[in-house]
Amino acid sequence: MKNDDNGLRGKIAKLNPFGKEPLVTLVIITIFIFLFIFIVYPLYKILIISVTDSNGKLSFEAIGSVLANKYYLQSLMNSLGLALAVSVISLFVGYIFAYAITRVDMPFKPFFKMMATLPIISPPFVLSLSMIMLFGRNGLITNKLFGLENVNIYGFNSLLVVQVLSFFPIAYLTLSGILEAIDPSVEDAALNLGAQRGRIFRTVTLPLSFPGIASALLLVMVQSLQDFSNPMVLGGNFHTLVVQAYVEIIGMYDMKKGAVISIMLLLPTLAAFLLQKYWVSGKSYVTVTGKPSYERPKLNNPVIKWSAFALCSLFTAVIMLFYGTVIYGSFIKIWGVNNQFTLENYKYIFTLGSAPVKNTLKLAAYATPVGGLLSMIIAFLVVRKQFIGRKAMEFVSLLAFAIPGTVIGIGYILSFNQKPLLLTGTGLILVMAFIFRNMPVGIESGTATLKQIDRSIEEASTNLGASSFLTFRKITLPLIKSAFFSGLVYAFVRAMTAVSAVILLISPRWNLVTVSILAQVENLRLGVAAAYVIILIIMMMVAIGIMDALVKRLVKKKETA
Amino acid sequence: MKKSLFRVLSLVVVLVMVVAAFAGCAKQEAPAPAAADAQPQEEQKPKSDTLTMYSALDEAEILVYLENFTKATGIKVNYVRLSAGEIMTRVTAEKDNPQASIWFGGPSDTHVAAGNAGLLEKYESANVAKIPETYRDKQGFWSPIYVGAIGFACNRDWFEKKNIAYPESWEDLLKPEFDNQVSVAHPGSSGTAYTILATMVQLKGEDAAFEYMKKLHNNIIQYTKSGSAPAKNAAIGEAAIGLAFAHDILRIRNSEGYPIELKFPNDGTGYEIGGVSLIKNGIAGEEDNARKFIDWVTDVQAQELSAVTKSYRLPVNVDSKAPEGAVTLNDLKTINYDNVWAGENRKRLVEKFSADIASTPSN
Repeated sequence: MKNDDNGLRGKIAKLNPFGKEPLVTLVIITIFIFLFIFIVYPLYKILIISVTDSNGKLSFEAIGSVLANKYYLQSLMNSLGLALAVSVISLFVGYIFAYAITRVDMPFKPFFKMMATLPIISPPFVLSLSMIMLFGRNGLITNKLFGLENVNIYGFNSLLVVQVLSFFPIAYLTLSGILEAIDPSVEDAALNLGAQRGRIFRTVTLPLSFPGIASALLLVMVQSLQDFSNPMVLGGNFHTLVVQAYVEIIGMYDMKKGAVISIMLLLPTLAAFLLQKYWVSGKSYVTVTGKPSYERPKLNNPVIKWSAFALCSLFTAVIMLFYGTVIYGSFIKIWGVNNQFTLENYKYIFTLGSAPVKNTLKLAAYATPVGGLLSMIIAFLVVRKQFIGRKAMEFVSLLAFAIPGTVIGIGYILSFNQKPLLLTGTGLILVMAFIFRNMPVGIESGTATLKQIDRSIEEASTNLGASSFLTFRKITLPLIKSAFFSGLVYAFVRAMTAVSAVILLISPRWNLVTVSILAQVENLRLGVAAAYVIILIIMMMVAIGIMDALVKRLVKKKETA
Repeated sequence: MKKSLFRVLSLVVVLVMVVAAFAGCAKQEAPAPAAADAQPQEEQKPKSDTLTMYSALDEAEILVYLENFTKATGIKVNYVRLSAGEIMTRVTAEKDNPQASIWFGGPSDTHVAAGNAGLLEKYESANVAKIPETYRDKQGFWSPIYVGAIGFACNRDWFEKKNIAYPESWEDLLKPEFDNQVSVAHPGSSGTAYTILATMVQLKGEDAAFEYMKKLHNNIIQYTKSGSAPAKNAAIGEAAIGLAFAHDILRIRNSEGYPIELKFPNDGTGYEIGGVSLIKNGIAGEEDNARKFIDWVTDVQAQELSAVTKSYRLPVNVDSKAPEGAVTLNDLKTINYDNVWAGENRKRLVEKFSADIASTPSN
């Protein structure tokens, strides 16, 4: 173990499946088993539904009827167009925030940091509702402020705004992880060689953040493709594929057609994934080499500083406007009709509706550490270890992210409703859905960051006799702490705010808060829904604060060492 | 030294956690049905004092019904609230091992579809004799529990501000002043909207009905996906008029106080029958309790609860009184709605609607 493993012994060890590190092999195998059971198998069940008739015989009728209909093709184009626009704009916004926060000496940074993550910590349809309350026919801005009547906010433009607001934080989280990880001395070297700031950005910072850019684009695109609640509320006559799948399954009781449409949705995701891998792979992005480094000097050129500040302030103002509407709504009697101040909405939750809040918190608390750690382990294995099926592991772990929630729900019921895998009605099925559906953000930011870190740091550790796991825990994890943190945060908030995936998996014992919010919205008890959202946001902020502290403590020792 | 020992220990803990989580879960998936710990006990017990329910009513309404049911019978009910379409999907997917015993509420057409798909157990309560024959299920899969007519949810503020008269007939909806002001769901995704379409076809004949829908299309702001959205749109002012069932309109108005005026078309309207049914092979030991629930909910006391919930769902048991102030079907000109015909023609009419009407974008 103390020798370099490039020799003959190393080669022999590679051939032996339980090689010199049986534990690593064991972990790889268990991860594969789990990916198979909780992602591949449910997907297979869906696939089977789409290619059989009601008697279980092979039939391509459902596929034929979907392909023959121009309407679905149009929906596919709509989904793709929207996803593309949303991901590009989100990337810009996310990059500006990430760059400003990691590079620029700008005031109110902690505040901007908080605002940039705020939109992911709320149930998705909340922004849509705010949109209607602000810009609808009876909207605070369109009607009360400008006296406009008959505005029509339903369609592409509104969806673009709301989805960018909802999903740019993913881009921000991924990019800030990667920008932070670029060794300051690289940029400094360019500066010392006389390069202008703009040139450094163009030739050093931007190229080095390519893995993050690719990851962010991919994640936001996939997220937009499978977004259900916003198009459902705001889509109007702009139909997207996920909503079509939902309508077929829930409205027409046609599970087969719904399954076909969902599989159609996986194709663009697959394409985006392959494109991203092709684009990023084969280049080196290593900047963290283990050589002595120092605190990054922050940019304080006034032009950069104040334009970054202005842009961040602008976006923050929009975010605050949308969330301010929710806060306001939670304290008034009837949103849009009776604006009297009241605390009734909160009282309702604390007296009648607290059980779902506790349930959700409990399940998310189980799912988050497991999911967060698992995503870092997968990222580590995928980037650092050579084993058969490495690409497959990366791809499969991303798949569950790309499937519409309703379909995940059906796949899980079909797969886990019978012995020996009887999980329906338990909390475990929800925990599993959370873990496997929410891992990809952690995995993507983990792999993107790991690609920047020179292997030799870890090799030094293994050469000194540490096992892969000790190295992972003491070297790798601290180096990718911000990716680990964003993975944890994302796993947590997605668990707390999942809607379409869980609606078919909840049981009397395990009812969740988002489903309660949906029920309140369904009944137009918008004040109560808003109050639920505010409570949820506060809880998530506290939890994120705790996670931040824990992650910092976990990796602190490295800095003193 | 001590510190590094701590580190090693913490590492071991993390590792054990991860491996144990996997191994533990893996064990659970192995032969023993450890995951569903409550299940085996129930299987052994021939009778249970609980009932597991999927319900499509509003949460606040469900609670009123269940409280009274438990008071009357001592049976405790666990429920999940879902939309009717979601219940249908769940029951279909859980076919081999149903996770609930009773399906409470939701329009009859979902119950009809479930019955035809072999997902329901037939049961006819003694109370069915007191329910008019037109509402009953000929096959006996589901029992009617309420009816409600299609009406117009009108935003009072809009009408008062514009000083426009409320629509009183289907023809009124075509008036030019309602340009871009009418909200209705798409019949492909909503049972409510399909009932409206089927009503028009039964009322006017197919060609005239589609001619009418084409004209109405000019006044439609948006075909919503959900059947309850039009009433909500009218409530919050996103549309002046929303087409929905009376109880969905009144529920929003009465529980929250939105400025809604409910109008019924005087040239004839259709209605929805709400149903309750037994899920086939439901949770062991709960069959009797599920039957008791159907007996109870079709009986006078439960039938009159809609006065308490203020949803004003109209009772179907002839012995029970309609909630005070509610407009009953006798007060309205209702068509003789044929839900068997409606069910059989659903696919065809929806496809025709999609092809001829809703594919052209409205503005």
